Amino acid sequence: MHTLILGLGNPILSDDAVGILVADEIQALLEQQGPRTDVTVETASLGGLALMERMLGYERVILIDALWRTHEAPGLLLRLGLDDLALPQTTERSVSPHDTSLGIALALGRQLALPVPEEIIIYAITVQSILEVSSDPSPAVAAAVPQAVAAVLAELE
Amino acid sequence: MQRITIDPVTRLEGHGRIEIFLNDEGDVANAYFIVPELRGFEQFCVGRPAEEMPRITSRICGVCPEAHHMAATKTLDALFNVEPPAAAKKLRELFYSSFYVTDHTTHFYALAGPDFVLGPDAPPAERNILGVVRKVGLEIGRAVIDARIRNHEIIKLIGGRGVHPVAGLPGGWSKPLAPEDRAHVEEVARKNVEFALFSLKLFEDVVLGNPAYRELILADTFTHNTYSMGTVDANNYVNFYDGMIRVVDPEGNEFVKYHPRDYAKHIAERSEPWTYLKFPYLKGVGWNGFVDGKQSGVYVATPLSRLNAADGMATPRAQEFFEQFYTTLSTKGANGRYKPVHYRLATHWARLIELLYAAERMLELATDPEITSPHVRTPVSNLPREGAASVEAPRGTLTHHYWTDENGILTRVNLIVGTTNNYAPIAMSVKKAAQSLISKGTVVTEGLLNRIEMGFRAYDPCFGCATHALPGQMPLEVVIRDAAGEELQTLSQYC
Repeated sequence: MHTLILGLGNPILSDDAVGILVADEIQALLEQQGPRTDVTVETASLGGLALMERMLGYERVILIDALWRTHEAPGLLLRLGLDDLALPQTTERSVSPHDTSLGIALALGRQLALPVPEEIIIYAITVQSILEVSSDPSPAVAAAVPQAVAAVLAELE
Repeated sequence: MQRITIDPVTRLEGHGRIEIFLNDEGDVANAYFIVPELRGFEQFCVGRPAEEMPRITSRICGVCPEAHHMAATKTLDALFNVEPPAAAKKLRELFYSSFYVTDHTTHFYALAGPDFVLGPDAPPAERNILGVVRKVGLEIGRAVIDARIRNHEIIKLIGGRGVHPVAGLPGGWSKPLAPEDRAHVEEVARKNVEFALFSLKLFEDVVLGNPAYRELILADTFTHNTYSMGTVDANNYVNFYDGMIRVVDPEGNEFVKYHPRDYAKHIAERSEPWTYLKFPYLKGVGWNGFVDGKQSGVYVATPLSRLNAADGMATPRAQEFFEQFYTTLSTKGANGRYKPVHYRLATHWARLIELLYAAERMLELATDPEITSPHVRTPVSNLPREGAASVEAPRGTLTHHYWTDENGILTRVNLIVGTTNNYAPIAMSVKKAAQSLISKGTVVTEGLLNRIEMGFRAYDPCFGCATHALPGQMPLEVVIRDAAGEELQTLSQYC
């Protein structure tokens, strides 16, 4: 089974970078362990259709992304499935106003018989600052990175 | 005063929100749209080397990173006063044309398509690209995805990285197009031309062939008589990559034509107490409020305005459709030019004509003997100080302006992004649509609210949506309150 680990976010928008930070760390650790042909690690700033297209051809995808919920403390790690994205409070925005939601994009992929992944796991880290242009995440969010890295690596075992 | 809130706007991400204020009689008193503000952008840039800007600015906007990359790269040319080789300019424009194909394709099928293929009154759960594909067929759905994927490959091939390109440099481009890759680019361009022609045929059959949609396009609800802005080449034809900024008045007379570096001489910004947004307007006319007409400095910068501001398209098939567009919706004025089309929903048609132009231009460039030239960079030798440049982003003229010290370290940055040009027209469109569709005794249904959204969706706006928290379907909630602020009714979808 080929797994894509995809860290999502904007690297210069403070806490929104967390998915990318986690993926970068995973990539570094996997490289230390030696080459793996069954795992691909990437980062991207994508949503909707483009995100669906990026996942095509993989059997399993693990997304790592920021989750903005005003009533949650920052730095909380959640393991979500696609069904959870139907809840309005689990979504703040996609990356592009040209896009549909990921759920609709994946449904479109299935409708068109495209090779969408059979399994999609989402690791979400709650964040507090996503409108501040900065390359530094807030301390609580940065502190959650190791936990997220360990959780994603455990999925590979 | 009653208030209706549509928050957030469906299919427009960011905190985009429409506020509609009703008076005691239940009529629309005012309508505004409110968008999020990214904080600290200029502070983030100041102190960094200017040559980082093509990569930084492509990150602040998640909608059209390629447009920011190109505007920033051209601004570096101006900043360092360096002229790129002809091959570099062609390579940039080739890249940019491919980007336009993906961008306009996505907007038509994923955003405009649901309104016109399924209808503005279709249930929200169906009014999306899935519903469009169900209606028009799986083959068209695959064609849309194929168009996106093949052009994203070209963007990655030429731009050095997918979505967020890295190839732009002051004085040129970081790598030439390899001769062995050129044939593939040409093949993609040919497919794009076919796809664009197909899309225009689909528009003709589904939209123009439906009297109800024709009526909708021509409705006064979605009409505004404003100035039109666009970039034109030496022949006054539409150009996305380079040229002069031309503005025509509501009757179609040229009002001004200027070099992009002179934007500040022609554009001023109006502040309003109810929003932190600033509303650009034509200095030469002046600000007279959110109103139509020749005496109002409000202008629009969209696919429709680009066609209005130009005398034609620079490629043959796109020119044919340009003629069809204006003979269908307009007549020629005394100056020999077609009068501008002011039906805002016609922007969707104009966008498809631009899609065809982008595809044809891409093919021209892909078959240009110079396109594989290895000479794609002029070395920089001048000291930087100040530079400004623009491109046509899909959703309006995009201007960058940088100031640096003698070492090229940024000291000040100013951007006028595509959508910013349209803030005033969008506010006007929302208000007019609201006034036409909500009045005393009118039941507020989702279909009506969607029509209000249609009023500004035509502008294809981007609202500082650079962040990317978990993607999902945007919820839509409409709260109707009485004059005392008490909730009378709540309508929602995706909640």
